[in-house]
Amino acid sequence: MASTRRTFLKGTAASGATLAVASRFKPLEVLAAENGKAALSEDLVPTTCWIGKQDCGILARRVNGRVVKFEGHPRNPLNLGALCPKGVGQIAAVYDPNRVKTPLARTNEKGVAGEWRQISWNEALDTVAKQLREYREKDPELILWQKGRSKAKDFYDKAFVDSAGIEKLGHGAYCSDAGYRAAEYTIGCHGVLQPDMRHSRYVLAWGWNATGAGGNKFCYITWPRQLSEARERGMKVVALDPRLRATGPHADEWVPLRPATDLAFALALCNGLIQQGTIDREYLAEHTNSPWLVKEDGTFLREGGKEQVWDTAKGAIGPVGSAGKAALEGTYTVGGETVKPAFQVFKEHVAKRTPEWAAEVCGVEVDQIRRIIRDLGDNAMIGKTIEVDGVRLPYRPVGVMAYHMAQQEEGFQAVRAQLLVFMLLGAIGAVGGVRIDAKWEIDDHYQELDEIEIGDPPYDFTLKESKYFPINSGNPTIAAKTMLDPKRYGVEKIPEMAIIHMANPVVSFPNTDVIKEAYKKFKFMTVLSPWLSETADLYADVVLPAATVEKYEGPMKANDMYVDGVSLRMPPMDPLFESRGEIDIYLDLAERAGFLKGKDGYLDILNSELELTPAHALPLDRRPEVANIFDRWAKSEGIAKGLAYFEEKGVEVKGEMTPEEIYGYAADPVFGGAVHRLYGESLLRYQRQMKAKKAEKIYWQDYTPLPTWREPTMERSPGAYDLYLISFKLVENKQSRSSFTALLAELMPEQRLHINPDTAKERGIGDGDEVWVEANNAVTGGTARLKVKTMYTQAIRPDTVGMPHHFGLWVYPGAKEQGPTPNVLFQAGEGYVACTADQSFHVKVQVRKA
Amino acid sequence: MVIDLDRCMGCRACMEACKVENNTSEQIFWMNVFRYEEGDYPDVTMKFLPRPCQHCENPPCVKVCPTQARYQQDDGIVLTDFEKCIGCRYCIVACPYGVNFFNWKDPEDNYYGLDWDDKELDSVTDGAVPPWKNPDLDKRYGPDERLVAGSGHFRGTTEKCTFCIQRVTKGLDPACVETCPVDALIFGDLDDPQSDVSQTLRKKSSFKLKEELNTNPKVRYVGQTAPQTDGREIEAIPIEARD
Repeated sequence: MASTRRTFLKGTAASGATLAVASRFKPLEVLAAENGKAALSEDLVPTTCWIGKQDCGILARRVNGRVVKFEGHPRNPLNLGALCPKGVGQIAAVYDPNRVKTPLARTNEKGVAGEWRQISWNEALDTVAKQLREYREKDPELILWQKGRSKAKDFYDKAFVDSAGIEKLGHGAYCSDAGYRAAEYTIGCHGVLQPDMRHSRYVLAWGWNATGAGGNKFCYITWPRQLSEARERGMKVVALDPRLRATGPHADEWVPLRPATDLAFALALCNGLIQQGTIDREYLAEHTNSPWLVKEDGTFLREGGKEQVWDTAKGAIGPVGSAGKAALEGTYTVGGETVKPAFQVFKEHVAKRTPEWAAEVCGVEVDQIRRIIRDLGDNAMIGKTIEVDGVRLPYRPVGVMAYHMAQQEEGFQAVRAQLLVFMLLGAIGAVGGVRIDAKWEIDDHYQELDEIEIGDPPYDFTLKESKYFPINSGNPTIAAKTMLDPKRYGVEKIPEMAIIHMANPVVSFPNTDVIKEAYKKFKFMTVLSPWLSETADLYADVVLPAATVEKYEGPMKANDMYVDGVSLRMPPMDPLFESRGEIDIYLDLAERAGFLKGKDGYLDILNSELELTPAHALPLDRRPEVANIFDRWAKSEGIAKGLAYFEEKGVEVKGEMTPEEIYGYAADPVFGGAVHRLYGESLLRYQRQMKAKKAEKIYWQDYTPLPTWREPTMERSPGAYDLYLISFKLVENKQSRSSFTALLAELMPEQRLHINPDTAKERGIGDGDEVWVEANNAVTGGTARLKVKTMYTQAIRPDTVGMPHHFGLWVYPGAKEQGPTPNVLFQAGEGYVACTADQSFHVKVQVRKA
Repeated sequence: MVIDLDRCMGCRACMEACKVENNTSEQIFWMNVFRYEEGDYPDVTMKFLPRPCQHCENPPCVKVCPTQARYQQDDGIVLTDFEKCIGCRYCIVACPYGVNFFNWKDPEDNYYGLDWDDKELDSVTDGAVPPWKNPDLDKRYGPDERLVAGSGHFRGTTEKCTFCIQRVTKGLDPACVETCPVDALIFGDLDDPQSDVSQTLRKKSSFKLKEELNTNPKVRYVGQTAPQTDGREIEAIPIEARD
C-alpha cells in the first residue's frame, strides 16, 4: 500500500502546478478506501500525558482509530484544556518509526555499541525470568531494579520490587530529595516549599524555573497559570537565580545570586527579620522547638527524658507544654549549667550573618537584601487572621517556591535555612504562606529522620544507614562508586543483575564516566524502554520494548493544590509495533519467575498497594488483565462503573479541597501534631556518631543543628577554573523522555552554553562559537571536558555559564547531533554529592574557544 | 485575536499545537513565538512575543497576489486558495510580518526525515503522512468552497496561518488559543463589544505590530510594550533561508 502511495506521489509531483489539486494528493478518505475502510469515523478518547511529571489530562482525537492530535482535557484540574509543547508534540514520538519494535537480544560483547537480533516476547521473557529466578534463589539483593521517574502511583513498581525482594534505585537524588528531606525533617510534610498561590501577596521565586519547568508537584502548566492569575491580583514576585530566564517578565525584581550561596542569603534574611522584629513569636513558642532549652554541648536539657523550657512566669524550668509562657530568648542557669532557648542559640548563630556579609558572599547588592527583608516583614502581616471557607486562620501572605534550589552541595541545609526564614515569619501552613504538599499530612520520615541509627560496616551498596550519608536519598552515582570500590566504603555485596526501566543512567546521571565504569560490572541487564537507550546500547542483554502513551497506567493525582481529582492513563490505541505496557511486562516476569501468585506475591502486594477492598481484591491464583486491575481499583474507590467511568470521562473531579486539608493551621491537630524543628538536635547527634565512627569531615561537616554557612567545595578549584557552571531545564524537554520527538527537537534543536556576552568577548568567543568547557573536581583534581556551541544572553551572571539538562544521546538518530549533556561535567563524588547523598549541579569550569 | 504579553511565558505550546493541527511540515511555522532580551546585565528584561498571521484589515499580501489566491473573507480572515496559488512568492515580499512560508519541498518528503513508509506504521495510519494527518484539512471552506485549510501543503505554494479555519468553522478556538497553558491568547469577534477580545481591549492598553504601516492588524497585543529596537532575539527557531 505504501509503495503505491509513494509511487503515485512521485509520479505526479512533476506535473504542472496548474493541475487540479485533487490529482496531487490523496485525502485521507482515499487512503482509507485503499485500505478497505468505507468512511472516516472520528472520536475523542481520554487519556493522560506520557511525557511530563504531572500527567495532564488529554483528549485524544482519533480518526479511524488512529490518534491525530492530543488536546488538553478541559475538566482535568491540572491543565483545564491546555497542553504544553511536550504534551502536544509527543504524537511524533508515539508514531516514531525508530522505536524498539520487538524484544531484542544482544549478539555482541558489552561495553560497545550493541548489535541485536529480534526475538519473540516468549524468548525474551523466559530469558529474563530465568535470570530473575536464579539470582533470587542465590540472593535477591544481587538484583537491582532502577527507574527514572515513576509515572502515576508507583504501585506496580513497588509490588515488583517488594515481591521479588530486590534492591531499588530511583532518581530523587538528582532532583529535589535534599529539599524533601529538609521539609520532612523540619516540618513533617513530604515535599518542597511552594506558595499558597491563591492568597500570597509576596513570593520569593527562589531558583524557580517558572517559564521552563514547574517544580516538585508540576512540570509546567498548573503553577504558571496560577502565577499569572496571582500576578493579575497584584502578587509581587522576586526571582532569586543566577539566570533570569527562569522567571523572565513574571518577576518584579531579579536577584542574580551567585551559584550555591543560597544558604548564606537565607541566613541574612533570618538575621534581618530578627533585627527588624518581624517575627511571629506566638507561632515560634507554640509550634516549634524554639523555646526548648539547649545546653552548652548542643543537646536539649531533659528532665526525666522530657525536654524543658524556661517558664517566664515561674522563673524556673518546666517540661515542654507545661509552661504558661515559655521564653524564646535569654540565658539561664539550671543546676550550674548554662542553658538557652533554641531561638536564642539561633539568634546568636545568625548575628554575624548580616545583609552586608551576604551581599559579599552572594555577589548581590546589599540594598536588594535589605529591601527583601523589609518587604517580607511588611507583607507577612504578623498577627493578622483571615476567614477561608468559614474558618478563621492566621494570614501570612508571604511565600516561597524552592524545589530545584535543593540541587546544590548544601541543599539540605539551604532548604532548612529557607524554612527558618518562613518559620520566623509564621508563614508555614498559614493562609497565603508556605505549603509543602497538597494535603497537610505528616510523613513517616518526620520521626524516622530523627531516629536514625548509624550502623557499622558492612553497608548496603547505597550506603543507607552508613556513617557517610545517614540521611540518604539512594543516589545511583554513589551506588556506582561503591560498586567500583566496595572496600573503600565498607560494602561487601554489589548487585549483579539489573532491570533498568525508563532510566538511562549512563547519560542522565553525573558523572557519566563513573556510571559507565560501574555498569560494566553487571553480569546481566535488561532494559524496558520504548527506545534503545545508551545504557541498553552499551550493557543490556535483553531489551523489552515498552509502550508510550498507548497503555494503562495510574492512578494519577489530578490535584492542582486547590481542587482534588484522580485520573488514569488509558490506551488511545493498541500499543504500536510489538510494544507492551509495563504492567503487562511485570505481570509476565513475575509469573515466569514464580513470584506472581499467593501470599506476598506480586498480586498480593498489588492488592495492598492499590488498597483494594476485599470485595474487589485480585484473586491470588491467576494473572489478571491490566484493564481488570484498574476496574477493580476504581470500584474499590467507590466508583460503581469502574474503569468504564474513566474510559468515558477521563477524570474524576472530587471538588475543592477544604481548609483543613490545605492549611497546617486548620489541620486537626494543628500541623498534624508535629513540632517544627527550628533546632535539629538529632543532626548534631549524627555528626558526633559519624566522627566517632571515623568518617571524614567532608561527610559530617553539614550535620549541624542549625544551617551553617561554609564555602562550597568547588571554590577550592584552581583559579584557572574561573566560571561557575549551572544547569536548568528547558520547557521543550523533560529529562530525556522528550528526546524522541522530532517536533520538539525542531523547537530546541541542540545544546547551547548560555554565556554573558561580556564574559564571552573577554575570551574571544562569539555567539554560536564552539567552545571547550572544562570542569575541575576540587577534591580529586580530576577534570572533564566537552565541546559545545555558545548562546549569548545578558540574562545570566557574568561569572556563571549554564547548560540545559538535556541532550547527550548518541543512539537515537534524531538526537545524536544535538550536542552533549552537562552531566559529563558535573562531579559525582564527595564534595559534590551533598550530606544527604544528593547530587549538586554546580562546578567550577573554564571556557575557551575550540 | 488578542495576545496578552503579561501572561505569555514563551513556552511555544501554541507553535506545536499549530503544527500538529495544521500538519505543517518541517521548518514551517504559522505561529512563531519570539524570545528576546532588552537591556544589559543586570538591568535586563526577557520578553516573549507570539506572532501568528496578523490578518490585516488592509493586507498587503492580498494586494500583490496576481491570481487572487490570497484573499480576505468577509469576517476578516485572510486565506490562501491552494488551487490558485502559483507560488510567485510576492506575498512573502509584501508581508511586513514575515508570516508566509513557501513549500520548497514536497511536504510528504519534509516531515523530519523519518521513515513514514514503515510497514507496521502504515497498517495503523493507512499510509497517512504525517501519521497525525488531520482529515479536516482536506475539506473546503467558505461560501465558494475553496481549498484553504492546508491539506497537502503542496510544493510550490505559499502558506500561512488560517486562524484554523477548519476549527473556527466548527465553533472551536484556533489550536494555538486552545492549548495555551496561561490563556495568553484570546480569540473572538472584535466587532462584538461583548466578546472576550473586546472586553480585554477595554481593560488594558493595546498595541499593534508595525502600526505605522496602516495594515491595521486584527491581532492586538496587550500588556508590556511593543518590542524595542535594541531587543536581541534568543533561541530563534531555525528556519532555513526561504528566499
